[in-house]
Amino acid sequence: MNVIEHPPIFRLPDVPDHVTYTWLIMIGLTVVAFLATRRVALVPTGLQNFFEVVIEQFFQIIDDVLGPEGRRFLPLIATLGIFILVGNLLGLVPGMNGPTTNLNTTAACAVVVFLSYHWIGVRKQGALTYLKHFTGPVPLALKPLMFVIEIISHLARPLSLTLRLFGNMVGGHILLAIIFFLMGLDGLLGWALSGSAIGVVVGGIGGVVMMVFTIGFLYPLKILVSLLQAFIFVMLTMLYISGAVEESEHHAEHHADHH
Amino acid sequence: MRRSLMLAAMAVLAFPGLAAAQAPAPAGAAEWIGPFAILAAGFALAFAAGLCALGQGRAVASAVDAMARQPGAAARIQTAMIIGLALIESLAIYVLVVAMILLFVQPIG
Repeated sequence: MNVIEHPPIFRLPDVPDHVTYTWLIMIGLTVVAFLATRRVALVPTGLQNFFEVVIEQFFQIIDDVLGPEGRRFLPLIATLGIFILVGNLLGLVPGMNGPTTNLNTTAACAVVVFLSYHWIGVRKQGALTYLKHFTGPVPLALKPLMFVIEIISHLARPLSLTLRLFGNMVGGHILLAIIFFLMGLDGLLGWALSGSAIGVVVGGIGGVVMMVFTIGFLYPLKILVSLLQAFIFVMLTMLYISGAVEESEHHAEHHADHH
Repeated sequence: MRRSLMLAAMAVLAFPGLAAAQAPAPAGAAEWIGPFAILAAGFALAFAAGLCALGQGRAVASAVDAMARQPGAAARIQTAMIIGLALIESLAIYVLVVAMILLFVQPIG
């Protein structure tokens, strides 16, 4: 990757790039949030208007999945969503580095989600009741087996959150780098400039086609994937929280149905 | 016919070993692992992408079917479809990560 791509323009010595750009996003988002809420008006204009739309979108999907009482978790969910979205999109800006293309950033987000949904579940139901629901509605003899299976499936959640975001971002990045730099710039345009007659025709046309394909198709696709992955991360976070919070009611209903 | 196929397969499989024999390998490392890791990464990703496409195709087909039958529930079905697609795709992404480990890290090589 580093062989193909130009390193990011802004680097701090002795600090990894993804950390630098995470700090940059943190500073940027804080400044923007401060500017948007500096003079809060009843009839919003400009930046405040934009952010109200964003927060209302978050409220809407929270209401869909968690219900109105899930609005307490807006800080967690919206922060993760906006950070991941900006991180994904920053990776597409030339000369910048997206922090979500590094495994450490996505793992940090996933671990935050993992710890907080368990914490929310324990706070809501108490530690013993919460632990009991790992066994599920099965006969007593099967409960130890269910417990182990559930523990493994819960441990797989942060892993899959981490790898999904990381893999999608890095996969798209490698695709973009190979098609644009390796095939387009280095391969075909290099062939065109090498001086042979076939090279000028084939390499020139092929290079232009590659660039139009990259900018016209792959770049919008990557933007779509960035939005989609941020949405999926937020959506799965909410599903996990709703699983941790609502399991007791679900369990009770199940029992009521049977008896 | 079968013998020629087998010969072709053996030739394909023997080639990376030959290629590796020319390159100087680090001491103690099995020299054929690197080329085979590249082959394995390519084949793994090819299988994963194909099977993932089959699975996602089935999911999208039935989601579109449901949306056409019940346009009122289209938004909810779409959300469920996107989550399902993400869960299916993450399996292919695992293979991508393994392929990248094989290509770039090569822990046993």
